[in-house]
Amino acid sequence: MTLTSIWLLPLIGAVLIAFMPPRFAKWMGVLVALVTLGISGGVALAFAPNFHGYQFTEQVPWIPQLHIFYHLGVDGISVWLVVLNALLTVIAVLATPVEKPGSNRFIALLLAMSAGMAGVFLAVDLVLFYVFWEAMLIPTYFLLWLFGEGPSPGRAAIKFVLYTLAGSLLMLVGVIGEYVFTGQQTFDLAKLATIPPSATIQFGLFFVFALAFAIKTPLFPFHGWLPDAYMAAPTPMLVIFAGVMGKTGAYGMLRILVPLFPNPVDWWDWRWVIPVLAVAAIIWGALMAIAQRDMKLLVAYSSVSHMGFIVLGIFAYNVQGQQGAILQMVNHGIIIPALFLFVAWIADRTGTRDRSALAGIAPRMPVMAGVFTIVVLAALGLPGLNSFVGEFMTLLGAWERAPVLAAVGAIGLVLAPVYMLRMFQGAMHGEPVGQRPSGDIYAGQLALVTPLIILMFAIGLYPYALTQLMTSVAQTGLYR
Amino acid sequence: MMLAVATIPPYGWSQALADLGQISPIATLTGFFLFAIVADLVIPITRRSGVVAMVAVVGLSYSLGTAVYRWLYATGDYAYQKMATGDNFALFFDILFCSLGILTVAISHSYLVKRGMREGEFHILILASIIGMMVLASATSLVTVFLGLELLSIALYIASGFARDDNRSQEAAAKYLLVGGFASAFVLYGMALVYGASGTTIIPDIAKQLANADLGNPLLILGVVLMGVGFAFKVSAAPFHMWTPDVYQGAPIPVTAFMSVGTKAAAFAMIVRVFAGGLPHLAPEWQALLAFVAATSMVVGNLMAITQTSLKRLLAYSGIAQAGYVLIGVIAGGKAGLAAVLYYLFVYMFMNFGAFAVVTLLAGPEGDRDRLSDLGGLYRRNLPMAVLMTIFMLSLAGFPPSVGFFGKLFLFTAGVSAGYTWLVVLAVLMSVVSVYYYVRVLIPVWTATRAEPLRASFSSTMAIALSGVFSVILGLYPTSLLIAAQLGANPFGP
Repeated sequence: MTLTSIWLLPLIGAVLIAFMPPRFAKWMGVLVALVTLGISGGVALAFAPNFHGYQFTEQVPWIPQLHIFYHLGVDGISVWLVVLNALLTVIAVLATPVEKPGSNRFIALLLAMSAGMAGVFLAVDLVLFYVFWEAMLIPTYFLLWLFGEGPSPGRAAIKFVLYTLAGSLLMLVGVIGEYVFTGQQTFDLAKLATIPPSATIQFGLFFVFALAFAIKTPLFPFHGWLPDAYMAAPTPMLVIFAGVMGKTGAYGMLRILVPLFPNPVDWWDWRWVIPVLAVAAIIWGALMAIAQRDMKLLVAYSSVSHMGFIVLGIFAYNVQGQQGAILQMVNHGIIIPALFLFVAWIADRTGTRDRSALAGIAPRMPVMAGVFTIVVLAALGLPGLNSFVGEFMTLLGAWERAPVLAAVGAIGLVLAPVYMLRMFQGAMHGEPVGQRPSGDIYAGQLALVTPLIILMFAIGLYPYALTQLMTSVAQTGLYR
Repeated sequence: MMLAVATIPPYGWSQALADLGQISPIATLTGFFLFAIVADLVIPITRRSGVVAMVAVVGLSYSLGTAVYRWLYATGDYAYQKMATGDNFALFFDILFCSLGILTVAISHSYLVKRGMREGEFHILILASIIGMMVLASATSLVTVFLGLELLSIALYIASGFARDDNRSQEAAAKYLLVGGFASAFVLYGMALVYGASGTTIIPDIAKQLANADLGNPLLILGVVLMGVGFAFKVSAAPFHMWTPDVYQGAPIPVTAFMSVGTKAAAFAMIVRVFAGGLPHLAPEWQALLAFVAATSMVVGNLMAITQTSLKRLLAYSGIAQAGYVLIGVIAGGKAGLAAVLYYLFVYMFMNFGAFAVVTLLAGPEGDRDRLSDLGGLYRRNLPMAVLMTIFMLSLAGFPPSVGFFGKLFLFTAGVSAGYTWLVVLAVLMSVVSVYYYVRVLIPVWTATRAEPLRASFSSTMAIALSGVFSVILGLYPTSLLIAAQLGANPFGP
């Protein structure tokens, strides 16, 4: 029941909160999110590092005719993502302004989306995974459409849904294919990894799954939905939308693509396709970020670049790369929400997100500038902060697999300071322009990012705390 | 060609009772149907509709209970010299049709009152049509199949034109009559050719006769094709779908809601009975035909639905596409495939009927209001209905954890298992398209354009709420219904 409560609690909370008065709804939402975080944290603390396979498993027959089980479990891959999701949900709910009309429905949808993503990370049965994977789209769509910003949030929402569905419905064929073509009639992920179908079948199934995950991550050239969706998403939603939703794609690659399809066909090693696209995403995302003047869009494209590192690490097919990728998923989930929050707060105070229209914020808002420095430095991968360790490990893994991939990918490390520091310097330093911003960052806002800042330092200085739980997985051969 | 010489055993009282028992759900409903006609004659005109509706609901419930009882405690067998049967397949559909009938009567009473159509005939026609559907599901002879088909169709021709002062309703009735008659002729001609080749009209005997017959006989193949075309008309599958949008749009909404589910389910029952039951040896031929029809339906239905601005037409095209999905299960065949078909048809009743039922509420005295914009501000006008409409649309689009998803999962699994992966891939790609127009329906629902409250009668609310609840519950817990569907598919092989 422990793992069930991690996704069911927010969902029940969401249903209740939808009918509550807004002010009360927020604190109820925070309470629900905090309890979920407590449970998730408890699971992470009680997690046995050197255990082979899934822990805290719950298995109940669901549709016995098709051998579908309600089967949950966590391992070194998923446990931190579950905690990250719970943590970001707390922050997202706290960041929600109560004044806006319908904020109770907003919080309810946030919790429902978070519940869906928790389910994706917890599911060990392929159909259950798929159910959560699709179900989380429903609250996401309504969040984007009903509460979105910008001229046409409805268009961004439907674009996001159609993009994602094009991949994930094809994945449904893959899910069924796994069931039929392995000849064992099972949807159990652990079991499926031991019985790969013939190489030709794998060839087809690999790409069906890869497309779904590539769209969700997103990987170049499947990122078309991202700029629109991120621009339309309100900031509290972005905290988990950017922080966790993208990770479900990378998580799917690690959980399904790598272990289930180990044998490429004789005439083509398709396992190179994804890392090459990942490198393309790193470079493309960084270049696009450099070209942006809108800081929200800049951060959105930087996210494409960073997700490229994660995918590169996963498809290094070695322990360093994959551990680095998991670590980097958590890191990115900590940094991106902080970046989006700061961009939103700057825009709130100064009335614009255009980095070229801003200057000299630092002397006027010293606290904001100070904390923002840390976030920016973490984002560009400064040693001592969390992102450095993860990116280093993914590149190390990629180097062992193919030096050329690592070498080209490393260009992204060079480009990151360019767009990050240009944004930072442009906005923070120089001669102040325009009206004086209406005050520095609030204490409440500072408190909101404090846990993220602490984590940036903690993981940067002591990454072993996280990686030790991942070693068990990497060494059991669950993925190669 | 050897003709089977029928040796007719002496027909005694015990046999008569046993035969009647096999078709008791139909017999029960027929009794209530006759009673309703009498009631309609003797009761004053202002009260007719209400009283006849009550009789109909009681009769349908009684018939439903009989079917459930027989499902649980009786063994299904042939009746009337193999003209009909009371097997689980028939009972499954009996339960489906009776439930659908109850839902239909529940939503139509307040609609009829609102539109000033106080006649009791409406419910009587629905009852007649349901009896036809049940006959169709129980039929094990081509003659009985045709009997059921005509009974169901003729009642619906009249029902489509029930709004007598509405030209579109009249047009729909005329169109439906012409095209339906055409389709019936196709089916009949096909049956005649199959009879000529096999020498019998008893469906299980056709299978036996054809086991050692010359399957390359062009007349036999032609018979199968003609029947297939006629059936495709009835399930409103492309390229034989042209009548569907017009008839659906013209007919009064409760009739549309009823036939969008009922006719389709009955026609699928007929296809399974005749093709899977009677012509298993010609499977490659009719599978190829149906695969073509399924593929066309999915493409045409989904693409045409995108541009529709009338909800009835949109749902008509969506129904064409859904028929394509269900055909995948028929083509896949076997217990898994047919169980998936039965499951899907049963849950399709809730989601599709529910969607139509919400549109029914919008109707005013002057006619149906079925433009997309008529749904505007539904969440302010009636929040529960907005939530339910959302459930129905997401379910039709196939989002988990609704029934639509699990129905597709079962159909597609059967399809891939049977080697029709290409068809499943096409279905999946077309489902992506379908999401666009299903979600488009939700946009006015959740946009604040109007706020005057929308009242729903108690019975309508109950019917729609039940549909909504089942659309979710049967998805979260599909096991029981799937077991029932598998039992229902039992008569057709392993």
